Amino acid sequence: MNLYLIFWTVMIFASIAWYGFLIFYVGFKGGREIGVMTKELGSRPNAEKKS
Amino acid sequence: MHLALIDWIIIIVYLVGCMAAGIWMRRFVRGVEDFAIAGRAMDLNLGIASLAATELGLVTVMYTAQLGYTKGFAGATIGVLMAIAMYSVGRTGFVIGPLRRAGVMTIPELFEKRFGIKVRWLAGLFIVMGGVLNMGIFLRLGGEFLVSATGMPAAWLEWVMTILLSMILLYTVLGGMLSVLVTDYIQFIVKGAGIVVTSILVIWSFGWGNLVDGLWHCWDGGAAGAAQTLKAHPFNPLHESNFGWGYVLWQLIFQIACVTTWQTQIARVLSARDEATAKKMYRRTAFYFVGRFALPGLWGAAALVYFSQHGGLPAELQGLPENQASLRATPAYLGILLPTGFIGLLLAAALAAEMSTDSGYLLTWATVIYNDLISPCVKKPLSPAMRLFITRGLVLAIGVFLLFYGLWYEMPGNAWDYLAVTGNIYLASVFTLLVAGLYWPRATSKGAYAALVLGAVGPITFLVWNLLVVKAQHLGLHPAATPSVVQEWLMHFNQWWPKAKAINPEAAGASSFGLAFAGMIVGSLLSRAPQKTATEKTP
Repeated sequence: MNLYLIFWTVMIFASIAWYGFLIFYVGFKGGREIGVMTKELGSRPNAEKKS
Repeated sequence: MHLALIDWIIIIVYLVGCMAAGIWMRRFVRGVEDFAIAGRAMDLNLGIASLAATELGLVTVMYTAQLGYTKGFAGATIGVLMAIAMYSVGRTGFVIGPLRRAGVMTIPELFEKRFGIKVRWLAGLFIVMGGVLNMGIFLRLGGEFLVSATGMPAAWLEWVMTILLSMILLYTVLGGMLSVLVTDYIQFIVKGAGIVVTSILVIWSFGWGNLVDGLWHCWDGGAAGAAQTLKAHPFNPLHESNFGWGYVLWQLIFQIACVTTWQTQIARVLSARDEATAKKMYRRTAFYFVGRFALPGLWGAAALVYFSQHGGLPAELQGLPENQASLRATPAYLGILLPTGFIGLLLAAALAAEMSTDSGYLLTWATVIYNDLISPCVKKPLSPAMRLFITRGLVLAIGVFLLFYGLWYEMPGNAWDYLAVTGNIYLASVFTLLVAGLYWPRATSKGAYAALVLGAVGPITFLVWNLLVVKAQHLGLHPAATPSVVQEWLMHFNQWWPKAKAINPEAAGASSFGLAFAGMIVGSLLSRAPQKTATEKTP
Protein backbone atom coordinates (compact mmCIF):
# COMPACT_ATOMS: atom_id res chain seq x y z
CA MET A 1 0.00 0.00 0.00
CA ASN A 2 1.23 3.48 -0.91
CA LEU A 3 2.69 5.40 2.09
CA TYR A 4 0.94 8.58 1.08
CA LEU A 5 -2.36 6.72 0.92
CA ILE A 6 -1.82 5.34 4.44
CA PHE A 7 -1.07 8.86 5.65
CA TRP A 8 -4.27 10.32 4.17
CA THR A 9 -6.37 7.40 5.40
CA VAL A 10 -5.15 8.07 8.96
CA MET A 11 -5.68 11.83 8.61
CA ILE A 12 -9.25 11.50 7.30
CA PHE A 13 -10.46 8.94 9.84
CA ALA A 14 -8.68 10.74 12.71
CA SER A 15 -10.33 14.01 11.63
CA ILE A 16 -13.79 12.44 11.70
CA ALA A 17 -13.09 11.06 15.18
CA TRP A 18 -11.65 14.38 16.42
CA TYR A 19 -14.57 16.42 15.10
CA GLY A 20 -17.01 13.96 16.70
CA PHE A 21 -15.21 14.22 20.05
CA LEU A 22 -15.05 18.03 19.97
CA ILE A 23 -18.79 18.38 19.34
CA PHE A 24 -19.48 16.84 22.75
CA TYR A 25 -16.42 18.05 24.68
CA VAL A 26 -16.44 21.68 23.52
CA GLY A 27 -20.25 21.60 23.38
CA PHE A 28 -20.41 20.80 27.10
CA LYS A 29 -17.54 22.96 28.35
CA GLY A 30 -18.18 25.89 26.00
CA GLY A 31 -21.81 26.03 27.11
CA ARG A 32 -20.71 26.37 30.72
CA GLU A 33 -18.24 29.10 29.79
CA ILE A 34 -20.99 31.12 28.09
CA GLY A 35 -22.93 30.95 31.36
CA VAL A 36 -19.93 32.21 33.36
CA MET A 37 -19.13 34.93 30.81
CA THR A 38 -22.65 36.34 30.68
CA LYS A 39 -22.87 36.27 34.49
CA GLU A 40 -19.60 38.22 34.74
CA LEU A 41 -20.58 40.73 32.09
CA GLY A 42 -24.02 41.21 33.61
CA SER A 43 -22.68 41.80 37.11
CA ARG A 44 -20.32 44.65 36.21
CA PRO A 45 -20.89 47.79 38.27
CA ASN A 46 -22.78 50.60 36.54
CA ALA A 47 -19.80 52.97 36.45
CA GLU A 48 -17.81 50.41 34.49
CA LYS A 49 -20.74 49.69 32.21
CA LYS A 50 -20.87 53.28 31.12
CA SER A 51 -17.12 53.65 30.51
CA MET B 1 -35.62 21.30 -4.81
CA HIS B 2 -35.61 18.12 -2.72
CA LEU B 3 -36.23 19.39 0.80
CA ALA B 4 -38.74 17.49 2.92
CA LEU B 5 -40.59 18.77 5.99
CA ILE B 6 -37.96 17.39 8.35
CA ASP B 7 -35.24 19.26 6.44
CA TRP B 8 -37.13 22.54 6.79
CA ILE B 9 -37.71 21.94 10.50
CA ILE B 10 -33.97 21.40 11.09
CA ILE B 11 -33.07 24.55 9.15
CA ILE B 12 -35.70 26.76 10.81
CA VAL B 13 -34.88 25.54 14.35
CA TYR B 14 -31.20 26.29 13.73
CA LEU B 15 -31.86 29.75 12.29
CA VAL B 16 -34.30 30.81 15.00
CA GLY B 17 -32.03 29.52 17.80
CA CYS B 18 -28.97 31.17 16.37
CA MET B 19 -30.57 34.52 15.67
CA ALA B 20 -32.23 34.62 19.10
CA ALA B 21 -28.94 33.86 20.88
CA GLY B 22 -27.08 36.46 18.82
CA ILE B 23 -29.64 39.20 19.43
CA TRP B 24 -29.90 38.32 23.13
CA MET B 25 -26.20 39.10 23.65
CA ARG B 26 -26.81 42.70 22.67
CA ARG B 27 -27.77 43.50 26.28
CA PHE B 28 -24.17 43.00 27.45
CA VAL B 29 -22.56 45.42 25.00
CA ARG B 30 -21.46 48.57 26.86
CA GLY B 31 -18.71 49.91 24.67
CA VAL B 32 -16.30 49.26 21.80
CA GLU B 33 -14.17 46.91 23.91
CA ASP B 34 -17.17 44.63 24.54
CA PHE B 35 -18.22 44.97 20.92
CA ALA B 36 -14.79 44.23 19.41
CA ILE B 37 -13.09 41.83 21.82
CA ALA B 38 -15.90 40.65 24.13
CA GLY B 39 -14.44 42.53 27.09
CA ARG B 40 -11.52 40.02 27.05
CA ALA B 41 -13.76 37.58 28.89
CA MET B 42 -13.41 34.62 26.51
CA ASP B 43 -12.33 31.31 28.04
CA LEU B 44 -10.59 28.29 26.48
CA ASN B 45 -13.40 26.15 25.07
CA LEU B 46 -15.46 29.06 23.84
CA GLY B 47 -12.26 30.28 22.18
CA ILE B 48 -11.73 26.90 20.49
CA ALA B 49 -15.33 26.90 19.23
CA SER B 50 -15.10 30.48 17.99
CA LEU B 51 -11.70 30.11 16.33
CA ALA B 52 -12.68 26.87 14.63
CA ALA B 53 -16.11 28.20 13.59
CA THR B 54 -14.78 31.44 12.14
CA GLU B 55 -12.00 29.79 10.18
CA LEU B 56 -14.22 27.06 8.74
CA GLY B 57 -16.73 28.87 6.60
CA LEU B 58 -18.79 27.79 3.66
CA VAL B 59 -16.18 29.43 1.48
CA THR B 60 -13.62 27.11 3.13
CA VAL B 61 -15.77 24.09 2.37
CA MET B 62 -16.07 25.25 -1.25
CA TYR B 63 -12.37 25.79 -1.90
CA THR B 64 -11.14 22.77 0.07
CA ALA B 65 -13.68 20.58 -1.75
CA GLN B 66 -12.43 22.11 -4.99
CA LEU B 67 -8.88 21.14 -3.99
CA GLY B 68 -10.12 17.58 -3.32
CA TYR B 69 -11.84 17.54 -6.71
CA THR B 70 -8.76 18.78 -8.61
CA LYS B 71 -5.90 17.33 -6.50
CA GLY B 72 -7.37 14.32 -4.68
CA PHE B 73 -6.59 13.71 -1.00
CA ALA B 74 -3.25 15.50 -1.47
CA GLY B 75 -5.25 18.74 -1.70
CA ALA B 76 -5.48 18.59 2.11
CA THR B 77 -1.72 19.09 2.47
CA ILE B 78 -2.33 22.78 3.21
CA GLY B 79 -4.44 21.77 6.22
CA VAL B 80 -1.62 19.61 7.58
CA LEU B 81 0.83 22.53 7.18
CA MET B 82 -1.62 24.85 8.92
CA ALA B 83 -2.00 22.41 11.83
CA ILE B 84 1.80 22.21 12.20
CA ALA B 85 2.00 26.02 12.18
CA MET B 86 -0.85 26.39 14.73
CA TYR B 87 0.63 23.82 17.12
CA SER B 88 4.15 25.27 16.90
CA VAL B 89 2.92 28.81 17.56
CA GLY B 90 0.69 27.58 20.41
CA ARG B 91 3.63 25.71 21.95
CA THR B 92 6.23 28.51 21.65
CA GLY B 93 3.98 31.58 21.90
CA PHE B 94 5.79 33.00 18.85
CA VAL B 95 4.26 36.45 18.15
CA ILE B 96 0.92 35.68 19.87
CA GLY B 97 2.48 35.72 23.35
CA PRO B 98 3.86 39.28 23.26
CA LEU B 99 0.85 40.41 21.24
CA ARG B 100 -1.59 39.32 23.96
CA ARG B 101 0.63 40.74 26.71
CA ALA B 102 0.65 44.12 24.96
CA GLY B 103 -3.09 44.49 25.72
CA VAL B 104 -3.92 45.93 22.30
CA MET B 105 -7.22 45.57 20.40
CA THR B 106 -5.71 45.13 16.91
CA ILE B 107 -2.29 44.37 15.40
CA PRO B 108 -1.64 47.91 14.04
CA GLU B 109 -2.16 49.30 17.55
CA LEU B 110 1.01 47.46 18.53
CA PHE B 111 2.88 49.04 15.61
CA GLU B 112 2.18 52.50 16.98
CA LYS B 113 4.14 51.65 20.12
CA ARG B 114 7.09 50.42 18.07
CA PHE B 115 7.09 52.38 14.80
CA GLY B 116 4.82 55.40 15.34
CA ILE B 117 1.27 56.37 14.48
CA LYS B 118 1.78 56.71 10.70
CA VAL B 119 2.94 53.11 10.39
CA ARG B 120 -0.09 52.07 12.43
CA TRP B 121 -2.38 53.89 10.03
CA LEU B 122 -0.71 52.51 6.90
CA ALA B 123 -0.65 48.97 8.28
CA GLY B 124 -4.35 49.34 9.15
CA LEU B 125 -5.06 50.38 5.58
CA PHE B 126 -3.23 47.35 4.16
CA ILE B 127 -4.95 45.00 6.58
CA VAL B 128 -8.37 46.30 5.66
CA MET B 129 -7.62 46.27 1.93
CA GLY B 130 -6.32 42.69 1.93
CA GLY B 131 -8.93 41.48 4.41
CA VAL B 132 -11.99 42.95 2.73
CA LEU B 133 -10.87 41.88 -0.76
CA ASN B 134 -10.20 38.43 0.64
CA MET B 135 -13.67 38.30 2.11
CA GLY B 136 -15.18 39.62 -1.12
CA ILE B 137 -15.90 36.18 -2.56
CA PHE B 138 -17.26 34.58 0.64
CA LEU B 139 -20.86 35.53 0.13
CA ARG B 140 -20.98 34.52 -3.50
CA LEU B 141 -19.34 31.14 -2.92
CA GLY B 142 -21.64 30.52 0.03
CA GLY B 143 -24.67 31.39 -2.08
CA GLU B 144 -23.44 29.13 -4.89
CA PHE B 145 -23.07 26.22 -2.48
CA LEU B 146 -26.62 26.64 -1.18
CA VAL B 147 -28.09 27.05 -4.66
CA SER B 148 -26.22 24.02 -6.05
CA ALA B 149 -26.90 21.75 -3.07
CA THR B 150 -30.64 22.47 -2.96
CA GLY B 151 -31.12 22.54 -6.72
CA MET B 152 -32.58 26.09 -6.60
CA PRO B 153 -32.67 27.99 -9.91
CA ALA B 154 -29.39 29.83 -10.55
CA ALA B 155 -31.30 33.13 -10.80
CA TRP B 156 -32.04 32.93 -7.07
CA LEU B 157 -28.36 33.33 -6.18
CA GLU B 158 -28.58 37.09 -5.57
CA TRP B 159 -31.60 36.67 -3.31
CA VAL B 160 -29.94 33.89 -1.34
CA MET B 161 -26.86 36.12 -0.87
CA THR B 162 -28.94 39.09 0.23
CA ILE B 163 -31.06 37.18 2.75
CA LEU B 164 -28.00 35.46 4.19
CA LEU B 165 -26.18 38.75 4.61
CA SER B 166 -29.18 40.45 6.23
CA MET B 167 -29.42 37.75 8.90
CA ILE B 168 -25.70 37.91 9.63
CA LEU B 169 -25.70 41.71 9.80
CA LEU B 170 -28.63 41.78 12.19
CA TYR B 171 -26.92 40.04 15.08
CA THR B 172 -23.37 41.20 14.31
CA VAL B 173 -24.35 44.87 14.24
CA LEU B 174 -26.31 44.53 17.47
CA GLY B 175 -24.07 42.33 19.60
CA GLY B 176 -20.60 42.50 18.05
CA MET B 177 -18.04 39.98 19.33
CA LEU B 178 -20.30 38.86 22.17
CA SER B 179 -22.97 37.77 19.67
CA VAL B 180 -20.31 36.33 17.39
CA LEU B 181 -18.89 34.19 20.21
CA VAL B 182 -22.24 32.74 21.23
CA THR B 183 -23.46 32.15 17.68
CA ASP B 184 -20.04 30.69 16.80
CA TYR B 185 -20.53 28.19 19.62
CA ILE B 186 -23.91 27.06 18.23
CA GLN B 187 -22.55 27.08 14.69
CA PHE B 188 -19.49 25.06 15.73
CA ILE B 189 -21.73 22.27 17.03
CA VAL B 190 -24.17 22.32 14.09
CA LYS B 191 -21.51 22.36 11.42
CA GLY B 192 -19.37 19.80 13.26
CA ALA B 193 -22.35 17.41 13.29
CA GLY B 194 -23.03 18.14 9.60
CA ILE B 195 -19.41 17.51 8.61
CA VAL B 196 -19.09 14.26 10.56
CA VAL B 197 -22.39 12.83 9.28
CA THR B 198 -21.72 13.87 5.67
CA SER B 199 -18.19 12.40 5.72
CA ILE B 200 -19.44 9.10 7.11
CA LEU B 201 -22.19 8.95 4.46
CA VAL B 202 -19.70 9.69 1.68
CA ILE B 203 -17.39 6.87 2.80
CA TRP B 204 -20.35 4.56 3.44
CA SER B 205 -21.84 5.13 0.00
CA PHE B 206 -18.61 4.31 -1.85
CA GLY B 207 -16.73 1.99 0.47
CA TRP B 208 -13.21 3.19 1.28
CA GLY B 209 -11.52 0.73 -1.09
CA ASN B 210 -13.76 1.66 -4.02
CA LEU B 211 -13.22 5.37 -3.45
CA VAL B 212 -9.44 4.94 -3.42
CA ASP B 213 -9.53 2.72 -6.53
CA GLY B 214 -11.77 5.26 -8.24
CA LEU B 215 -9.26 8.02 -7.54
CA TRP B 216 -6.42 5.94 -8.97
CA HIS B 217 -8.48 5.32 -12.10
CA CYS B 218 -9.32 9.01 -12.46
CA TRP B 219 -5.60 9.74 -12.27
CA ASP B 220 -4.20 7.02 -14.55
CA GLY B 221 -7.24 6.65 -16.81
CA GLY B 222 -7.08 2.93 -15.99
CA ALA B 223 -10.81 2.17 -16.02
CA ALA B 224 -12.11 0.78 -19.29
CA GLY B 225 -13.42 3.59 -21.47
CA ALA B 226 -12.54 6.30 -18.90
CA ALA B 227 -10.20 9.16 -19.72
CA GLN B 228 -7.84 10.84 -17.23
CA THR B 229 -10.23 13.05 -15.26
CA LEU B 230 -7.72 13.92 -12.52
CA LYS B 231 -4.66 15.84 -13.70
CA ALA B 232 -2.80 15.71 -10.36
CA HIS B 233 -1.48 12.72 -8.40
CA PRO B 234 -4.29 12.03 -5.90
CA PHE B 235 -2.11 11.19 -2.87
CA ASN B 236 1.38 12.64 -3.35
CA PRO B 237 1.49 16.44 -2.88
CA LEU B 238 5.16 16.59 -3.85
CA HIS B 239 4.57 14.97 -7.24
CA GLU B 240 5.26 17.35 -10.14
CA SER B 241 1.62 17.08 -11.28
CA ASN B 242 0.37 18.11 -7.81
CA PHE B 243 1.57 21.01 -5.60
CA GLY B 244 5.29 20.22 -5.88
CA TRP B 245 8.05 21.23 -3.44
CA GLY B 246 8.00 24.94 -4.26
CA TYR B 247 4.32 25.38 -3.51
CA VAL B 248 4.49 23.28 -0.32
CA LEU B 249 7.41 25.33 1.03
CA TRP B 250 5.66 28.59 0.19
CA GLN B 251 2.53 27.33 1.96
CA LEU B 252 4.50 26.46 5.09
CA ILE B 253 5.78 30.03 5.36
CA PHE B 254 2.36 31.37 4.42
CA GLN B 255 0.63 29.33 7.14
CA ILE B 256 3.08 30.46 9.84
CA ALA B 257 2.40 34.05 8.78
CA CYS B 258 -1.31 33.35 8.68
CA VAL B 259 -1.68 31.95 12.19
CA THR B 260 0.39 34.77 13.71
CA THR B 261 -0.97 37.65 11.64
CA TRP B 262 -4.45 36.95 10.29
CA GLN B 263 -6.55 39.49 12.13
CA THR B 264 -9.63 37.25 12.55
CA GLN B 265 -7.49 34.63 14.32
CA ILE B 266 -5.62 37.24 16.30
CA ALA B 267 -8.95 38.76 17.38
CA ARG B 268 -9.53 35.49 19.34
CA VAL B 269 -6.04 35.73 20.86
CA LEU B 270 -6.78 39.29 21.96
CA SER B 271 -10.23 38.32 23.30
CA ALA B 272 -8.76 35.52 25.43
CA ARG B 273 -8.55 35.94 29.19
CA ASP B 274 -4.74 35.72 29.20
CA GLU B 275 -1.71 34.57 27.26
CA ALA B 276 -1.83 30.98 28.59
CA THR B 277 -5.45 30.62 27.42
CA ALA B 278 -4.56 31.95 23.97
CA LYS B 279 -1.65 29.52 23.56
CA LYS B 280 -3.66 26.55 24.77
CA MET B 281 -6.49 27.52 22.38
CA TYR B 282 -4.02 27.35 19.47
CA ARG B 283 -2.62 23.96 20.48
CA ARG B 284 -6.03 22.38 20.95
CA THR B 285 -7.45 23.78 17.71
CA ALA B 286 -4.43 22.73 15.59
CA PHE B 287 -5.68 19.32 14.47
CA TYR B 288 -9.10 20.76 13.63
CA PHE B 289 -7.38 22.45 10.69
CA VAL B 290 -6.40 19.09 9.16
CA GLY B 291 -10.09 18.15 9.00
CA ARG B 292 -10.92 21.60 7.69
CA PHE B 293 -9.15 20.60 4.48
CA ALA B 294 -9.28 16.79 4.59
CA LEU B 295 -13.04 16.28 5.10
CA PRO B 296 -14.46 18.65 2.46
CA GLY B 297 -11.50 17.44 0.34
CA LEU B 298 -12.84 13.91 0.80
CA TRP B 299 -16.26 15.06 -0.48
CA GLY B 300 -14.62 16.75 -3.48
CA ALA B 301 -12.61 13.63 -4.33
CA ALA B 302 -15.76 11.52 -3.98
CA ALA B 303 -17.66 13.93 -6.27
CA LEU B 304 -14.97 13.50 -8.94
CA VAL B 305 -15.10 9.70 -8.75
CA TYR B 306 -18.91 9.69 -8.70
CA PHE B 307 -19.32 11.89 -11.77
CA SER B 308 -16.54 10.11 -13.65
CA GLN B 309 -18.44 6.84 -13.09
CA HIS B 310 -21.89 8.27 -13.91
CA GLY B 311 -21.48 9.83 -17.34
CA GLY B 312 -19.82 13.11 -16.35
CA LEU B 313 -21.00 16.29 -14.64
CA PRO B 314 -24.72 17.16 -14.43
CA ALA B 315 -26.12 19.11 -17.40
CA GLU B 316 -26.21 22.46 -15.54
CA LEU B 317 -22.46 22.28 -14.83
CA GLN B 318 -21.39 21.29 -18.31
CA GLY B 319 -20.07 24.13 -20.41
CA LEU B 320 -18.99 26.15 -17.36
CA PRO B 321 -15.35 27.30 -17.16
CA GLU B 322 -13.19 24.62 -15.51
CA ASN B 323 -12.72 26.49 -12.21
CA GLN B 324 -16.47 27.11 -11.89
CA ALA B 325 -17.40 23.51 -12.66
CA SER B 326 -14.88 22.14 -10.14
CA LEU B 327 -16.23 24.57 -7.53
CA ARG B 328 -19.86 23.53 -7.95
CA ALA B 329 -19.35 19.80 -8.48
CA THR B 330 -19.23 18.92 -4.76
CA PRO B 331 -22.47 20.62 -3.68
CA ALA B 332 -24.19 19.09 -6.72
CA TYR B 333 -22.88 15.65 -5.68
CA LEU B 334 -23.98 16.11 -2.05
CA GLY B 335 -27.42 17.15 -3.25
CA ILE B 336 -27.66 13.76 -5.02
CA LEU B 337 -26.09 11.70 -2.23
CA LEU B 338 -27.78 12.90 0.95
CA PRO B 339 -31.19 11.49 1.92
CA THR B 340 -34.11 13.41 3.47
CA GLY B 341 -33.22 14.75 6.91
CA PHE B 342 -29.52 14.71 6.17
CA ILE B 343 -29.81 17.39 3.50
CA GLY B 344 -31.50 19.57 6.16
CA LEU B 345 -28.60 18.94 8.52
CA LEU B 346 -26.08 19.69 5.76
CA LEU B 347 -27.85 22.95 4.89
CA ALA B 348 -28.07 23.99 8.54
CA ALA B 349 -24.34 23.22 8.81
CA ALA B 350 -23.66 25.16 5.62
CA LEU B 351 -25.62 28.15 6.91
CA ALA B 352 -23.75 27.89 10.22
CA ALA B 353 -20.43 27.84 8.40
CA GLU B 354 -21.30 30.86 6.29
CA MET B 355 -22.74 32.87 9.16
CA SER B 356 -19.93 32.23 11.62
CA THR B 357 -17.22 33.21 9.15
CA ASP B 358 -18.95 36.24 7.73
CA SER B 359 -19.90 37.66 11.12
CA GLY B 360 -16.38 37.18 12.51
CA TYR B 361 -14.76 38.74 9.46
CA LEU B 362 -17.19 41.67 9.24
CA LEU B 363 -16.55 42.51 12.85
CA THR B 364 -12.80 42.19 12.58
CA TRP B 365 -12.35 44.47 9.58
CA ALA B 366 -14.79 47.03 10.97
CA THR B 367 -12.81 47.08 14.22
CA VAL B 368 -9.54 47.69 12.36
CA ILE B 369 -11.11 50.51 10.29
CA TYR B 370 -12.40 52.20 13.43
CA ASN B 371 -9.45 51.52 15.71
CA ASP B 372 -6.57 52.12 13.30
CA LEU B 373 -7.85 54.30 10.46
CA ILE B 374 -10.50 56.56 11.99
CA SER B 375 -9.51 56.76 15.64
CA PRO B 376 -5.93 58.09 15.07
CA CYS B 377 -7.34 60.89 12.85
CA VAL B 378 -9.87 62.10 15.44
CA LYS B 379 -8.42 64.89 17.58
CA LYS B 380 -11.19 65.12 20.18
CA PRO B 381 -12.05 61.82 21.93
CA LEU B 382 -15.46 60.53 20.88
CA SER B 383 -18.09 59.44 23.36
CA PRO B 384 -18.41 55.65 23.91
CA ALA B 385 -21.86 55.73 22.30
CA MET B 386 -20.50 57.46 19.19
CA ARG B 387 -17.58 55.01 18.92
CA LEU B 388 -20.00 52.13 19.12
CA PHE B 389 -22.29 53.75 16.57
CA ILE B 390 -19.41 54.23 14.09
CA THR B 391 -18.17 50.65 14.49
CA ARG B 392 -21.68 49.31 13.94
CA GLY B 393 -22.05 51.53 10.87
CA LEU B 394 -18.78 50.14 9.50
CA VAL B 395 -19.98 46.54 9.89
CA LEU B 396 -23.06 47.49 7.87
CA ALA B 397 -21.03 49.31 5.20
CA ILE B 398 -18.65 46.35 4.69
CA GLY B 399 -21.70 44.09 4.38
CA VAL B 400 -23.13 46.23 1.58
CA PHE B 401 -19.74 46.29 -0.16
CA LEU B 402 -19.56 42.49 0.00
CA LEU B 403 -22.92 42.12 -1.66
CA PHE B 404 -21.93 44.22 -4.66
CA TYR B 405 -18.36 42.94 -4.92
CA GLY B 406 -19.60 39.33 -4.74
CA LEU B 407 -21.97 39.96 -7.64
CA TRP B 408 -19.40 41.74 -9.79
CA TYR B 409 -16.05 40.03 -9.36
CA GLU B 410 -15.14 37.00 -11.46
CA MET B 411 -12.35 34.84 -10.11
CA PRO B 412 -9.61 34.22 -12.67
CA GLY B 413 -8.34 30.97 -11.09
CA ASN B 414 -9.28 28.66 -8.25
CA ALA B 415 -10.73 30.04 -5.03
CA TRP B 416 -7.85 29.02 -2.78
CA ASP B 417 -5.29 30.90 -4.87
CA TYR B 418 -7.48 34.02 -4.85
CA LEU B 419 -7.79 33.84 -1.04
CA ALA B 420 -4.09 33.18 -0.53
CA VAL B 421 -3.02 36.04 -2.77
CA THR B 422 -5.47 38.66 -1.47
CA GLY B 423 -4.56 37.68 2.08
CA ASN B 424 -0.94 38.10 1.12
CA ILE B 425 -1.50 41.81 0.36
CA TYR B 426 -1.05 42.34 4.04
CA LEU B 427 0.16 39.01 5.43
CA ALA B 428 3.69 39.30 4.08
CA SER B 429 4.24 42.90 5.16
CA VAL B 430 2.41 42.77 8.51
CA PHE B 431 4.10 39.48 9.41
CA THR B 432 7.45 41.11 8.67
CA LEU B 433 6.55 44.13 10.82
CA LEU B 434 5.40 41.93 13.69
CA VAL B 435 8.47 39.71 13.68
CA ALA B 436 10.89 42.61 13.27
CA GLY B 437 9.00 44.83 15.72
CA LEU B 438 8.91 42.17 18.41
CA TYR B 439 12.24 40.42 17.91
CA TRP B 440 14.66 42.80 16.11
CA PRO B 441 15.62 45.88 18.14
CA ARG B 442 17.32 47.47 15.08
CA ALA B 443 14.02 47.66 13.09
CA THR B 444 12.98 51.23 12.28
CA SER B 445 9.87 52.98 10.96
CA LYS B 446 11.59 53.51 7.57
CA GLY B 447 12.10 49.75 7.33
CA ALA B 448 8.44 49.30 8.29
CA TYR B 449 7.25 51.59 5.45
CA ALA B 450 9.45 49.75 2.95
CA ALA B 451 8.16 46.36 4.12
CA LEU B 452 4.52 47.46 3.91
CA VAL B 453 4.78 48.80 0.40
CA LEU B 454 7.04 46.12 -1.06
CA GLY B 455 5.06 43.28 0.54
CA ALA B 456 1.89 44.42 -1.20
CA VAL B 457 3.41 44.87 -4.65
CA GLY B 458 3.51 41.16 -5.58
CA PRO B 459 -0.09 40.22 -4.69
CA ILE B 460 -1.63 43.42 -6.11
CA THR B 461 0.25 42.92 -9.39
CA PHE B 462 -1.00 39.32 -9.46
CA LEU B 463 -4.63 40.34 -8.90
CA VAL B 464 -4.69 43.14 -11.45
CA TRP B 465 -2.64 41.34 -14.10
CA ASN B 466 -4.53 38.04 -13.89
CA LEU B 467 -7.90 39.76 -14.00
CA LEU B 468 -6.73 41.72 -17.03
CA VAL B 469 -5.46 38.63 -18.86
CA VAL B 470 -8.58 36.54 -18.13
CA LYS B 471 -11.01 39.29 -19.19
CA ALA B 472 -8.98 40.15 -22.32
CA GLN B 473 -8.78 36.51 -23.40
CA HIS B 474 -12.50 36.01 -22.77
CA LEU B 475 -13.31 39.06 -24.91
CA GLY B 476 -10.93 37.73 -27.57
CA LEU B 477 -13.00 34.55 -27.78
CA HIS B 478 -16.40 36.21 -27.34
CA PRO B 479 -16.17 39.82 -28.57
CA ALA B 480 -18.86 42.18 -27.24
CA ALA B 481 -21.32 43.44 -29.88
CA THR B 482 -21.32 47.02 -28.52
CA PRO B 483 -18.16 47.16 -26.41
CA SER B 484 -17.60 49.76 -23.69
CA VAL B 485 -14.35 51.79 -23.61
CA VAL B 486 -12.78 49.33 -21.17
CA GLN B 487 -13.88 46.33 -23.23
CA GLU B 488 -12.46 47.92 -26.38
CA TRP B 489 -9.16 48.49 -24.62
CA LEU B 490 -9.14 44.89 -23.39
CA MET B 491 -9.82 43.61 -26.92
CA HIS B 492 -6.88 45.69 -28.21
CA PHE B 493 -4.73 44.30 -25.39
CA ASN B 494 -5.62 40.77 -26.46
CA GLN B 495 -4.64 41.55 -30.06
CA TRP B 496 -1.31 43.11 -29.04
CA TRP B 497 -0.46 40.36 -26.58
CA PRO B 498 -2.47 37.21 -27.38
CA LYS B 499 -0.07 34.92 -25.50
CA ALA B 500 -0.07 36.92 -22.24
CA LYS B 501 0.03 34.46 -19.34
CA ALA B 502 -1.37 34.64 -15.81
CA ILE B 503 1.19 34.93 -12.97
CA ASN B 504 1.78 31.81 -10.91
CA PRO B 505 0.30 32.28 -7.37
CA GLU B 506 3.29 30.82 -5.55
CA ALA B 507 5.61 33.21 -7.41
CA ALA B 508 3.43 36.18 -6.40
CA GLY B 509 3.17 34.94 -2.83
CA ALA B 510 6.79 34.01 -2.25
CA SER B 511 8.07 37.20 -3.85
CA SER B 512 5.91 39.33 -1.55
CA PHE B 513 7.50 37.72 1.54
CA GLY B 514 10.99 38.14 0.09
CA LEU B 515 10.35 41.77 -0.83
CA ALA B 516 8.82 42.62 2.56
CA PHE B 517 11.75 41.19 4.53
CA ALA B 518 14.27 42.79 2.16
CA GLY B 519 12.48 46.14 2.57
CA MET B 520 12.53 45.88 6.36
CA ILE B 521 16.20 44.93 6.55
CA VAL B 522 17.50 47.43 3.99
CA GLY B 523 15.21 50.26 5.14
CA SER B 524 16.18 49.76 8.79
CA LEU B 525 19.91 49.49 8.16
CA LEU B 526 19.89 52.62 5.99
CA SER B 527 18.13 54.68 8.67
CA ARG B 528 19.18 55.71 12.17
CA ALA B 529 18.89 53.05 14.85
CA PRO B 530 15.90 53.63 17.14
CA GLN B 531 16.38 54.73 20.73
CA LYS B 532 15.72 51.97 23.23
CA THR B 533 12.25 52.00 24.78
CA ALA B 534 10.46 49.71 27.17
CA THR B 535 8.44 48.05 24.38
CA GLU B 536 11.52 47.24 22.35
CA LYS B 537 12.95 45.29 25.24
CA THR B 538 9.84 43.10 25.36
CA PRO B 539 10.29 40.19 22.97
